[in-house]
Order: sequence, then C-alpha cells, then structure tokens
Amino acid sequence: MQHAVKPQVVEDTRFIYEAVEDAVRRYGRSRKALIPILQSIQAKIGYLPRIGLEKVSNHLDIPLSTIYGVATFYHQFILEPPGMHIIQICMGTACYIRGNSDNYRFLLNLLGIESNKRTSKDGLFTVLRVRCLGCCSLAPVIKVDDGVYGRVDFNEIRRIISFYRSKAKTDNPSSG
Amino acid sequence: MEHDGWSLMDRCCDLCRHSAETPCRNYVSCRIDGPLCHDDKDCKEKRMRRIYEVRNGRGGLKISIGMGSCGLAVGARDVYHAALKYIEEEGLDASVTPVGCMGLCYMEPLLEVHRDGLPSTIYGRVTAESVDDILDTYLSGDIRGAFALRDRAGVARGESEIPLLEDIDFFKYQVRWVTRNCGVVNPESIEDYIVYGGYLGLAKALESTPEDVIETIRKSGLRGRGGAGFPTWLKWSICRRAEGQPKYVVCNADEGDPGAFMNRMLAEADPHRVLEGLIIAAYAIGASYGYIFVRAEKPLMADRLEKAVEDARRYGLLGHDILGSGFSFDVDVVRSAGAFVCGEETAMLAAIEGGRAMPRQRPPYPATYGLFGKPTVINNVETLAHVATIMSDGWEKFTSYGTEKSKGTKVFCITGSATRTGAVEVPIGITVRELVFKVAGGVRKGRRFKAVQIGGPSGGCLPEAMLDLPMDYESLISAGAIMGSGGLIVIDDGSCIVDVARFFTSFTMAESCGKCIPCRIGSKILYDTLTRIIDGEGSEEDLKILEEVGMFMKNASLCALGQTAPNPILSTLRYFRDEYEAHIKEKRCPARVCSKLVNYVIDEGICVRCGLCAKQCPVQAIVRGDDGAYRVDPSICVRCGQCMLVCPREAIVKR
Amino acid sequence: MVKVIVDGVEVEVEPSSTILEAAKKAGLKIPTLCYFPGLFVEATCRVCVVELSGTGRLVPSCVFPVSDKLSVETNNARVREARRIALEVILAAHRIVCYSCPRKGGCKLLELCREYGVEGIPVCAECPLHGDECLLARGEICLGPLTNSGCGGVCVREGKTCEGCRGPLTSKDTVYEAVKLYVKYGMDLEAILGRLSIYHSSHPDYDKLTKLLSMLFGEAGSR
Repeated sequence: MQHAVKPQVVEDTRFIYEAVEDAVRRYGRSRKALIPILQSIQAKIGYLPRIGLEKVSNHLDIPLSTIYGVATFYHQFILEPPGMHIIQICMGTACYIRGNSDNYRFLLNLLGIESNKRTSKDGLFTVLRVRCLGCCSLAPVIKVDDGVYGRVDFNEIRRIISFYRSKAKTDNPSSG
Repeated sequence: MEHDGWSLMDRCCDLCRHSAETPCRNYVSCRIDGPLCHDDKDCKEKRMRRIYEVRNGRGGLKISIGMGSCGLAVGARDVYHAALKYIEEEGLDASVTPVGCMGLCYMEPLLEVHRDGLPSTIYGRVTAESVDDILDTYLSGDIRGAFALRDRAGVARGESEIPLLEDIDFFKYQVRWVTRNCGVVNPESIEDYIVYGGYLGLAKALESTPEDVIETIRKSGLRGRGGAGFPTWLKWSICRRAEGQPKYVVCNADEGDPGAFMNRMLAEADPHRVLEGLIIAAYAIGASYGYIFVRAEKPLMADRLEKAVEDARRYGLLGHDILGSGFSFDVDVVRSAGAFVCGEETAMLAAIEGGRAMPRQRPPYPATYGLFGKPTVINNVETLAHVATIMSDGWEKFTSYGTEKSKGTKVFCITGSATRTGAVEVPIGITVRELVFKVAGGVRKGRRFKAVQIGGPSGGCLPEAMLDLPMDYESLISAGAIMGSGGLIVIDDGSCIVDVARFFTSFTMAESCGKCIPCRIGSKILYDTLTRIIDGEGSEEDLKILEEVGMFMKNASLCALGQTAPNPILSTLRYFRDEYEAHIKEKRCPARVCSKLVNYVIDEGICVRCGLCAKQCPVQAIVRGDDGAYRVDPSICVRCGQCMLVCPREAIVKR
Repeated sequence: MVKVIVDGVEVEVEPSSTILEAAKKAGLKIPTLCYFPGLFVEATCRVCVVELSGTGRLVPSCVFPVSDKLSVETNNARVREARRIALEVILAAHRIVCYSCPRKGGCKLLELCREYGVEGIPVCAECPLHGDECLLARGEICLGPLTNSGCGGVCVREGKTCEGCRGPLTSKDTVYEAVKLYVKYGMDLEAILGRLSIYHSSHPDYDKLTKLLSMLFGEAGSR
C-alpha cells in the first residue's frame, strides 16, 4: 500500500474531501464501489479519517455504521494516522518458522514501539503484522512500503531501518 | 521493452482487416502463421523476424531476469538495471527481458542468457555486481559457474560440467504443463504469450459450442485446484443450466494460505494463461461479466493481471464479439482489502458486493445463487490455467498424468526447513516422501526432520512414518491432512509441535469472520488451552477439551475455515501426542522452544567467568556464587535469551 | 409440495421451506437461540443443528432448505452432543450477570442448559425477586450468585437465602461477578466463606473456590 503523504498534511479537510470526490468520481456510487473507494482514499491520505467516511456515507447513501463495519473488518484499512513508512512483517508459517517471530520482537525493540502500539514515537514507522506475502521461499520476509526484503536477519533489519532513517533526514533536514 | 514499436499484435500492412471493433476469427493463428487474410512475402518475413526476435532476442542475444515477487525481494531489480547498463555500455544489439518466477526460488535472483550458437544458460543467486562478469564470460564462450542449461550446443567452455535444467533433482520429477511459460515469457507482453502458443485454446473453444467445451473439460477429469477438488465441468454445467441473467465468473486469486504461492507465481509469470482460462469458462457457462479477485498482500499479482486485461481488451480478445464469435465478455480486477476468509466462495462474493466478507450457509451454492443473486462460477487461478492448456493441447495429454480419480498435474510449494524451497509442478499421485526428500532435498543441513504440514492452516501435520501417502485429494484425508491448495511446510526438530499448532490456531482466531460460535469462540478456547499447555499449566483435561471443541468446530462450523481450523491440532494430537504429554506431565518442552518450560543453564566446563551474561541480564537472574561460578536462577529468569546472545564462548545452553 | 421425513415422521411442505418449518409441521420442536424470522436468520448459534440421516453431517435447520425425500434426525445422540457443546462454548464467552440481566426469570439459554445438562449459570437467573428485593440487598448472605442453577430455586421463592445445594460455580468469570455483588452489598468475606464451609467443605472444588474468592475479594476491596 503506497503511503504517499506525510501525516501532518492530513489535517487538511479540503484535501480529505478531494480524495473522496476523486474516488467517487472514479468508482461510482453503487454499493460495490465501497471497498475500491476506501482503498483509493487510503492510498492518497494514508489512512481513513472519520470525516472522509462521513462524506462517503453521504455519497453512497450507506449508513456510517455499515461503512465502519466494513472498514474495521479488513486488515488493510487503517483508521488512525500511520507513521511515514509502513513496515509489514509477514507472519505466515514459513516466515514464522524461519525467524520472523524473533525479528518482530527485535524490530519493536529497535524502533522503541510499546507493546500495544503500532507506531514509533518519532512517527517514522508503523509496524503491521500481515499474513503471507507469498514469498515463502525467501522467508523470512518483511516489506517497507512497496519494497520487499527477503531472507532478513537482525543485521539486515538494522541496515534497512538505517537506510530509511537517513533518508528521512535528507528529505527533512529540519527535523530529527 | 526495446523494439521499434511494431508488434505481432498489430497489422502487418493495410490489407489486414482485424481490429478490436472488427474482429476476425483467425486473428490468433494469423499472428504466428500469418498473414492469413492476404498473401505477401514481405509481411510473412516481417512476422517471422519478429517471432525470432521474441524467442531469441534482438540480434540473437536475449538476457532474461526473474522479476517475480521473490526475485524482487532479493535484488532482481538491481540485477536488471545492471544488465541494461551492460548492453548500453557495450553497444550491443540485445533484448533484456523481465520474466516471471519459475519456482526455483531458492536460487533467486536468476539470470538467463541466450546467444545464438551458445547454450541458453541460467545463473543463480546473481548480484548486481556480478552481472558484468557473468555476461563478459558468457559472451566469450565460457559458461563455467552457471547453474543449469536449457539446451546444449556442445561448444561452450565448461559446458559438460553444467547439468541440463530438466536433469537437476528439483526439475526432473516435474511436468511443466501449466508452468511452461513461467520464467520464459515476459509477463507484461501479450505478444510473448502469443508467440509461445497463447490464446489458441480460446480460439478453439470459440469455434465449438459451450456444451462441447464443457464436455472436453469433463473428459479431462479436471478438478478444482483451490483445494476442494470439485469437478470443474460439473460446476460449469450446473451454472449453465441455472436460471438467471446475467451470469458471472470469478477468478479466485485470493490465495491466502501461508506457505502457498502457486497462484502468485502463475499469475505473475503468465497472467494471460489465467485470463484465457477465465474467458473460456465464461463462454462455457454463458457469463457476460467476470471478476478477478486478488489478495491485498500480493499487489504485483493484481498489477500483472490488470495489464493482461488491458492488453487483451486492446486487441479484441476481451470485450464485444470476441474473435467474431458473437460472444461478448469483459473483466474487472478487484483488489481485496485483506481478509483470509475471502478465499471462501460466498465470503468473496460478499466482498465484491461491497460488504464484510462473511460466508453464508450453503445450499444454495453460488452456481445457482451467487454474485448479486445470479448464477456464478468461481474457479481458482490454477484451475483456469489448466482450462486454457487443456483446450489448446487437448484433454488426452492431460489425462496421461495423474491417478485414476485425480487426473493431471498440480503445482505444489515447498517451504519451511527444506534444502530447496520453491514451487514445482508434478503429476498428482507423487508421494509426500518424494516431494520432500527427492525434489526438495530433505531437511536443511544440520537439522532433523520432524513433520510436514500439508494444506496450510486447514491441513494437518504428518510425521515421517506417514510420508508414503500419495499427494491426491482422497488419500490424505484419511490420514488427517488435506491436499488443500498445495502448500507443504517442512518442520524440523528445532520447532515445538505444540507451538506450531498454536501458531495455526492464532491464525484462525485472527481470521475468523466472527459469525458463527464454533469458530469465533471455539478457536479462542483452543488457543487459550494450548497457551496453558505451553506455559506449563496444562492438565489431561485440556487434551479432552482440545478434542471435544475441535470436533465440534469440525462438525458444526458455518464454513470451511472453521471446519478445517482444528486439523493442525487434531493431527498433531494423533501423531505427536507424546510432545503434548511432555508439556503437561513433565512441564518440559522437548524442542526447547516454549520459553516458560526451558531453562537457561551455564555450562561450567566452558564458561570463562567473564560475567558478561550477568551484566546483560535485564532481571539480574545470573549471580556469582561464592565459588566464583556464575549460575542462572530459574525462579527469576524470564527466558529472554539475552545471556545466550552475549556469551563469547557459547557456554549458555537451553535445557 | 415436497415430502420430508423428520425423525421418521413424514410431512409435506412447500419446496421453499426450511427443515425447521418442516419439523414444526411434524409437531417436533427444535431448539433455537439466534433465530428471529424477519429480523435475523443467519444460522450463527448452531444450536438448531440436525443430522442428515445416515451421513453424519450436521446442518442448521433454521436455514437449510428442504428437498424431496430429505430425511433428518433432530434428536439423536450425535445431535444432542453437538448441542451440548454448542451451549458450553456459548457459555464460555457469555458474560454471566444474571443478577441484573433483563432475561432473569425467563432465560432461554438457561432453559436449554438445564435440558442438556450444562452447568455454569448461577441461581440468580431463576430468582423471581427483583433487584431491590434481592436477599443480598436485605443484608442476608445468599449463595445464589455462587451456586449452579437448575433446582428450581425453591428456597429463594420461599424468601429464604440459597444454601448452595447444587454445588458451587468455580469459573473465574462467574465468581468475579459474584464477588462484585457481595462487595457492593458490604458482605464480609469471612462470613461468606463460613456459609460455604457448612455445605461445601468436602466438595472437590472447595479449595479452588475459596482461593479464588479470597484473591478476588482482595482485589475488589482495594479498588
């Protein structure tokens, strides 16, 4: 899932409404357009803000509670602003057996993420556990945004995180 | 792709009449054998040259790089760019082509190079840095260091030492029937697919009646490859006879079983084959619209399928009046929002309709009451790939493989602790032992085989003694496993079987849609019970609970997710009961995995008393005794394993 | 019209009927919990399961369509066992607060549990006395919240406190709810344990129960 925008921008209501309008224009107003619309909004904004969902409810004439039911059912949908980069760590059987359960703990430790939270305090990373990315022969596998990394161990994870951290510094010299 | 813009799909000259708006029956065969609508030596030559270029590369030099999800995960994109750079810098006339995954995952990234006169050579575990060297050496006629060859030319240096691909253990048991194009064609090129025989099956189907098509599939004995093994022709037949218009076909590309990537491989490497099968299925049942439902976590699959749909539409293989047959059909690729239960037919339909993916009670089955209440056929990716291949190559060839009740070939994925992991296509009926030990080379070095999990979270674990069972739909069920979608996970002695059973149960618990009580609550009860056992708080009563609740889930759940969820537990209880008993009676984990049942002990014979472990311990559980020796106090120890990691002499062991 | 055989009894019903409707026509009652025609018919509780004769296959009768010559068994051993476990599973996830539940005195789940021999619901579920009339509110130590229902609650109907004859409930959740009540009405742990010891000191679960009570009482007291 492409996370395209920095979280600060999403406070912009107009930006959110525009994303909704674009999605509805593209997919229409029928019930079956609901999921593609939600996916489109999340691709632009990075998550599904409530006011966005209310707008969708108006356009498609579906109760907000129904939309909420759909948004919370599927793994992909995020309802709070995520970090700059989304890390997906595969918890499929092959990856689990070849070390991802240790890698997951290591990653949380490395990023300083508390036990029931998913995003690091510096807002750089959100860690999600996903089920099976389909690269089982390259286990263990993690994904950062659209990049897939296979055969990862602790050192490799350190290397990947450093890469994104230094990238954040060069993209944003004023912060961190 | 680098060429002058003209492709085989286009008109060779102004005399050609085919277009998407004015379709011609012979369009497909005309691409290769043509031109058929007019006689022109120049046009013929133009086509022949182009076909040659596609097969052998521009100027007779073709470099193919495996760019499936697995290759990309280990650096294939850098290898690709390095190859492009090489061609540019050397000023060579060549084609650098991305190809899909051929199932040889343990050797990714893969690079294959062909130059006229030299053997077509495959190099494995290629890095971007080694590309220049590889190409220089190859072009000088030296192929030492290669992994395998597709053919022999008898002229290259070192050729006699390199085996043919078809002779290596991983390949020699395989029959590349639906996977023939994987790793050979550029998945984003419809032209490649046509050159390698694509869409001839569709052309043949459209020349006959839908009933004939169903009859051909019936004679082939093809059974659904998604796991259920339902006869494909029967599903089509019921739907064809059902009342209701419009009818729909849905391609189930939601492959969610962890450890299964057969569909991912096929759809990424040869998406047109799947699409062709879908169009044929639609023709057979009389559907006018179709959906391809792709798992959220496998976006490259969706990308490749979308490109295939786009190209098929552009050239009139999809849309109105396909190939002038009067049959019209179009397709939408739908991306799931992420839920394992979407793999269940009725849940998938609910998701396409824009709701929560919750299955419903059957009957009625989707074939009579499906998408939007209309008759719908749902077929798996691999099933559709077989359909296209059976229509083009004939049902007789298909039936020459397989067993009495299960004809043909199947793609299996072998992952986990095996020496050679990847995807293979073999005739149905091969034994589990042959697959694990001959094809996959057994357990990886330094480990001992414990079990093989077949069928994903719906399947069972089989111990070494049960490995002589054939891989077919029926045989495994009596042993407590299922063939499922075809994933095999090799488990070694470093894994605790109770922990593995709990892993699968946590999966089911997380993926349960929540509708029916056996699955929603039952899976939680099973999970909590297993956790008690793993934490050393289990009792004999708990084994009874596992069996009772497990059987209840099997018999009373609403859908197959709940009905098959207890299989990992029930099968491990059957074959590995002693491991459960050790956890319960002796509070011991034989595999030394379950952290609460494992003691970290300092081997005083090896320990040099540096004290690093004591410093590292987050709970000060390591104390220096009066005799100077360091010991771990098990009552304080939280089993984090940090001491083991910092010990310079590896003196700390798990017991 | 199609012919359906329910427990050996033949009935004729409309082809669009369900097994449940066919059974009703045959004069047989199949228990249900989540079935509300017109409102919710999704076959989620699995209590209404019946067996398709001779197949071993259990199907929910509230939605399963009839077909000609379909034969089902609504009450054989396999079906009863499945129903029993279904009820146990439902109870395992059910928040048992019978004391304040609006279904008190008319709880279908309780009736079914009694019929299938599933224990785990306290006597409060059957008590006809309402909240402010509850014996606990009058300062008397009633063992109702801690006792298995099913005796008909004669004692509390007579206005006498429950002595716990049917044995104590020991599941952590039910004991927790009982403790909350006792604390609310200012009951003394010692007094409760005292009453328990009169009838239950030889009960196999006595130790476990007293330990649990003490532990929870300690937690609740400190809040």
